[in-house]
Amino acid sequence: MHSVTAIVVAHDGARWLKETLAAVLRQTRPLDRVVGVDNGSRDGSGTLLTEAFGSGNVLTLPRSTGFGEAVHEVLRRLPPAPGQEWVWLLHDDCVPDAHALQALLWAAEQDPKAAILGPKLRDWLDRRVLLEMGVTVSRSGRRDTGLEPREYDQGQHDGIADVLSVSTAGMLIRRDVWDELSGLDTALPLFRDDLDLCWRARTAGHRVLNVSDAVAWHAEASARRRRRIATSEEHPRRLDRRNGLFVLMANLPFGALVRSVLRNVFGSALRVLLLLLAKQPANALDELAALGSVLGHPLRLRRARKARRKGRKQGWPAIRRKLSPPGAAFRRLADMVQGFLAGAGPVDSAGRHHAAADRAQEDDGDELLTDSGGVQRVFSSPGVVLCLILAVITLAAERTLLPGLLSSDGHLGGGALVPVTGGASDLWRLYIEDHHAAGLGSQTWAPPYVAVLAGLSAVALGKTWLAVAVVLLGCVPLAGISAYAATKRMISYTPARVWLAATYALLPVTTGVVAGGRLGTAIVIVLLPVYAALATRVIAGSRRAAWGFGLLLTVGTAFVPLVYVLVAILGGLAAVSFGGIRRGVRRSLVIGLGTPVVLLFPWLVQIAREPGRILLESGLHDGRLTAPRLGADSLLMLSPGGPGVPPVWATAGLIAVALAALLLRRHQMIVAIGWGVMLFGLLVAIVVSRVDDAWPGVPLAFAATGLLVAAGHQAHRIAEFRAAGGLRRLGAMLIVVVAFATPLAAAALWVTRGAQDPLRSDLSDPVPVLAALQSAPGEGTLLLRPRDGRVGYTLMRGRGPLIGESDLEPPREATDRFTTAVAGLASGRGSTYVQTLASSGVRFVTVPGVVDPALQRALDSQPALVRVSLSETGGLWRVAGQVTVPPPPATAGALHRGWLWAQGALLVLVLILASPGARTKEPDVDYADAPAEEGPRGRRRAKGDKGRKDRVPA
Amino acid sequence: MRRLIENRFGLLALVLVALGALYGVAFVSRPAPAAQVRPQAVRAPVESVTAVCPAPSGSRVSVVTPDQEQQSQEQQNQVQQSQGPGSATLSAIKTPEEKAGGKDDVIDRPGLLWQREIAAGGGPLVVDATGSMAAGLESAQTVRETSGTQRGLAGVRCVEPGAESWFVGPGPAAAEMTLYLANPDAAPAVVSFMVYSGEGPVLSERGNGVVVKPGQHRVIRLRDLAPSPLIMALQVSTRSGRVAAAVKAVLGEGRGVDWLPVAAAPATRVVVPGIPGTAGQRELYVATPGERDTVVRIRAVLEDGSYALKNKETIEVPAGSAASLDLSTGIGGQPAALVLESDVPIVAGLKITGTGARQDVAFTAGAASVDLGSVVADGRAEGKQTSWLVLSAPFSAATVEVRLVPSKGAAPAPVEVKLPAARTKELRLAPPKGSKGGFSVVVRPMPGSGPVYGGRVLDEGAKDGQLLTAQPLAMARTWALVPPTVDAPGAVLP
Repeated sequence: MHSVTAIVVAHDGARWLKETLAAVLRQTRPLDRVVGVDNGSRDGSGTLLTEAFGSGNVLTLPRSTGFGEAVHEVLRRLPPAPGQEWVWLLHDDCVPDAHALQALLWAAEQDPKAAILGPKLRDWLDRRVLLEMGVTVSRSGRRDTGLEPREYDQGQHDGIADVLSVSTAGMLIRRDVWDELSGLDTALPLFRDDLDLCWRARTAGHRVLNVSDAVAWHAEASARRRRRIATSEEHPRRLDRRNGLFVLMANLPFGALVRSVLRNVFGSALRVLLLLLAKQPANALDELAALGSVLGHPLRLRRARKARRKGRKQGWPAIRRKLSPPGAAFRRLADMVQGFLAGAGPVDSAGRHHAAADRAQEDDGDELLTDSGGVQRVFSSPGVVLCLILAVITLAAERTLLPGLLSSDGHLGGGALVPVTGGASDLWRLYIEDHHAAGLGSQTWAPPYVAVLAGLSAVALGKTWLAVAVVLLGCVPLAGISAYAATKRMISYTPARVWLAATYALLPVTTGVVAGGRLGTAIVIVLLPVYAALATRVIAGSRRAAWGFGLLLTVGTAFVPLVYVLVAILGGLAAVSFGGIRRGVRRSLVIGLGTPVVLLFPWLVQIAREPGRILLESGLHDGRLTAPRLGADSLLMLSPGGPGVPPVWATAGLIAVALAALLLRRHQMIVAIGWGVMLFGLLVAIVVSRVDDAWPGVPLAFAATGLLVAAGHQAHRIAEFRAAGGLRRLGAMLIVVVAFATPLAAAALWVTRGAQDPLRSDLSDPVPVLAALQSAPGEGTLLLRPRDGRVGYTLMRGRGPLIGESDLEPPREATDRFTTAVAGLASGRGSTYVQTLASSGVRFVTVPGVVDPALQRALDSQPALVRVSLSETGGLWRVAGQVTVPPPPATAGALHRGWLWAQGALLVLVLILASPGARTKEPDVDYADAPAEEGPRGRRRAKGDKGRKDRVPA
Repeated sequence: MRRLIENRFGLLALVLVALGALYGVAFVSRPAPAAQVRPQAVRAPVESVTAVCPAPSGSRVSVVTPDQEQQSQEQQNQVQQSQGPGSATLSAIKTPEEKAGGKDDVIDRPGLLWQREIAAGGGPLVVDATGSMAAGLESAQTVRETSGTQRGLAGVRCVEPGAESWFVGPGPAAAEMTLYLANPDAAPAVVSFMVYSGEGPVLSERGNGVVVKPGQHRVIRLRDLAPSPLIMALQVSTRSGRVAAAVKAVLGEGRGVDWLPVAAAPATRVVVPGIPGTAGQRELYVATPGERDTVVRIRAVLEDGSYALKNKETIEVPAGSAASLDLSTGIGGQPAALVLESDVPIVAGLKITGTGARQDVAFTAGAASVDLGSVVADGRAEGKQTSWLVLSAPFSAATVEVRLVPSKGAAPAPVEVKLPAARTKELRLAPPKGSKGGFSVVVRPMPGSGPVYGGRVLDEGAKDGQLLTAQPLAMARTWALVPPTVDAPGAVLP
């Protein structure tokens, strides 16, 4: 004969309590006694209890009372009942099924040793999701339910299971066992008190069962911070962790305890590191504080251990089997890393309560990545198809470049690009070394884009040529992908995005970039749509987007400083117009625009000293790559001049469509902004094009971006017009034809003219093989090339120049001396000049190509030069006498070293802040009100909500 | 304002106005078409010269460095001044080990002709000049024999060592041809020869890879290399190092002797200047080292004009071979220059035969124009000896300043010679009365002149026949054109 007393403990749980009470009273096995405890609720929970159970059955306790304490208090006052007495503990947010009690009691009858029974717990909100079917703990003190996050209950775990512990929510416990174990430990007011109790019960020889036929729905309100915890000031996370450790250490026998302490100290350190990396410093602090709190109070621990001494060692082997296996820790770590990479944040699936796992957010560019439908799905995605088409166009246009690229002895180069030699390690060395031995030697710090390129090369398995080829030759498809993905949030009409991406990818600037070998602008063109996409989020106040924006802007600025100026001016305008409207925008803008300044500081100082360099980009500066008398019509048609640019009329369709977009009255704001960017970019382009050697590619790309956004944003109206029929339909067709004329014409022109020239992929190594083989280390090869009445020279030490070495500045005095000597050599007027060259370490003189007769005569007339070879492909002379390699000057590179470390640290910091890893939102969905509501919501909102809650001291 | 914005066409109008304004700005700011200014090479005095006189034994060696000319202000701006005093040394050729040779002649006075008769015996002489003595240094060796197989006047410029030299003249079957090689440098020279005969190129095992070590000199009889050619073009080239080469032709008793001047490297247009107005035979030699047959068009530039010679308009030269053509009836007795044009590169030379019972010969050859001036070291006007200067302006008119530099006494005032386009002029060089000994000639085209070619001819009316030697004007080593140089990392790109 059983007698069951249900104890419902309520604390500010009015929003769940009503349902809970109804469920308690509706049990198919009627309860013998019901007691309600109100722990000082302020939301009317007490009244609800009184209404349901009657005032005599409700006990009111102070607000700081814990769950265990409340039960103790009830049982102290409750006289024993006849027969086998059971106590059914219920939280205010736990709704038992109508058959729950019946099922629990039936299971208790089956097993006489069963002293504690628990129901199957499911989620309150999504009622099919399993929360717990018995809980165990890992050796590091983590809760382990043995369930997958958000696992649905399909009966897969059903049955009566012998478990280590069950939750106090719905726990049915024999009253004599409660008294024997002296119940829940009041030192653990919240969390893990259930584990402690069950552990002790098992140690005492009782059984703990989970009965899946009994079901209860649990909101886990405290663990999920649905309500404030009054028993402790501490964060529930820290409390949970501390209590977990405490229970573990109190119940383990001594040998296992020592191991556990070691394991936890080590594990916590690792975890803290990971959490810091994942930008969750609060979690890391909680982790540390929890461990410290347990280990910092040895007396308390000792007291607890003393109380549990009885049978602890004997019961241990049985309990050990119930702990989660050691491999679980690794699995969890793997899950965590996986989750981090997937952008879901480190989901501590077992340590925290289940449903806290966030629903994975939709990622940027997801639709490019979705492959759920297999091949068909991929190839029917417009983005993929567009990318493939652009790739085919690129291959067709670059058909002459590819053979040289694939052959082993051809080097990619020409235009602004030196023949690409060397690997990632060479670039790294160039970036970090204090003294550059290349050329005449230089003490200037290598420009930061060298580091970016070195990173890219490292990704390309150390092959710089591969990285450069992908970025430069693949610039068109990359720009297309980038533009297509970046406009996802701006433009919802897919055909418009396809048109926009194709037009952007085939702009005159892009084809000009490929032909001119302008690696810097190529990178900026690919990044520009990303800037635009991130900028919309920065304007919306997203901090993380701001960090990402800053990082990418740093990359773009390192290659083309002008990008920063353009972005900064637009950003300033944005701050003026949006800064007052939305909170945090100004701060995000400061982050976005400040990051490049901080990361590139010394280099920017150099640039600022020579303002002309702002207009130049990385690589070689050659007047032949620009059109010095660029016409006004070219500029207005977004054509930057120089090699590889289609005729002016190619972009007429784009301009026409963008002008037509002005006539539509809806969304005029966006069109106006787009045109504003266009006019601004155009103005800058005009200024840039009037400066020697400067190429207005980047400002025109800005201008084109503005135009494309203006036109693309209105494109959905085409569909409306087409549906309207008649004249409008005709107009719509016309506009479509005009719009698509631009990318089609650009592609056709590009393919027919080819992408090469001056860019070539069959360049030979500037250092002849013979010179490279016969030079001692440090000895140089002087390359002379008469061109346009001038003799250009460059000094190479054992290998061709690396990308970035052309931006190093050798000491002026040495350059002057050397230039005079080279002039003397090329004139053949005397023999002393060779000695000057030899003292700078020149061993060979090479003249590539057909050697100019005058130059050949001059070199042949030098007694100290011995001709090694002369042919159609070039001449090579060797310095016969003594060649001294100048020793590198003793440099104190402390400042440089320090800056490199600082830069690296800053970069890591920005990377961490910008990476999507910690996209954990504190869920602030109002639980009872709208279970279905789940929208993109910033952290800001959550923090704001929390901040507004008044913190009432307990 | 508000109505403007709300109007459907308001924004369009604003944008169009802005675009128009930007168009205007771009249009106005478009720079004027700048004429491509080709950077000019700067003239700078040569700072060091090395020349080798191939076989001076028994000859008179003349060395001269003309004074620095008076420069106009404008010219001075684009000229780097020389670097102070210098000297020229004459020494027997030496290996680098035996540097301390004792009795070298040192010349340190520019503006005066230095002449000396060299005793018989001994090898080549090396003229090394630096500093102010280097700019324009010219040296020559001239020998005069009145009997024997060597009877005649035979003179040659002392040449700088180089990587390639061409000689065009009679072949070893027609004359005793001797090649003199000398290497005054510090690096060994590996020399190859190639002979193009009337029947085609003569391949010889022995003509390859002759090593001339530093300080060494060699004398090679061309008969050993190629015994059969009657006419030939000889290419002396080095695979590595440099060598000074000279060829002497001895036609035999009573038929004359002389050195072959270095001919201009193969080109599609070759000018053979310096043909004197004396009577006698003129025989043209043309060779094409290429692999295509060619027809060379001949045009004579004479005192009264420039025209093709009747029946001698062209000469056919098979690929890789030499051909000759007798031009005596065309240009004999007239000062002349020949302009040869062909579709493939050719080299050319000319034999001048003197008059009299016992003949002497002289050779001239294709030469470059003397844009920066020219110096001839040896000029004589003693007794029956006469020096002639034959100047031609085959393409456009030119004005040339001719200056004599005597070995003693004051220099006479320079003479200005006007050359109409496509005309040749012959000048008799006479030193001022009272000055004794030889003199040098400095030829300098005035600014604005077309290309000028020329030669100096020396003859002596001996009783048994005229003695004769000739020398085409070579570009003076006064100036070097120093090109503007720039440290350009882009030089690695074609």
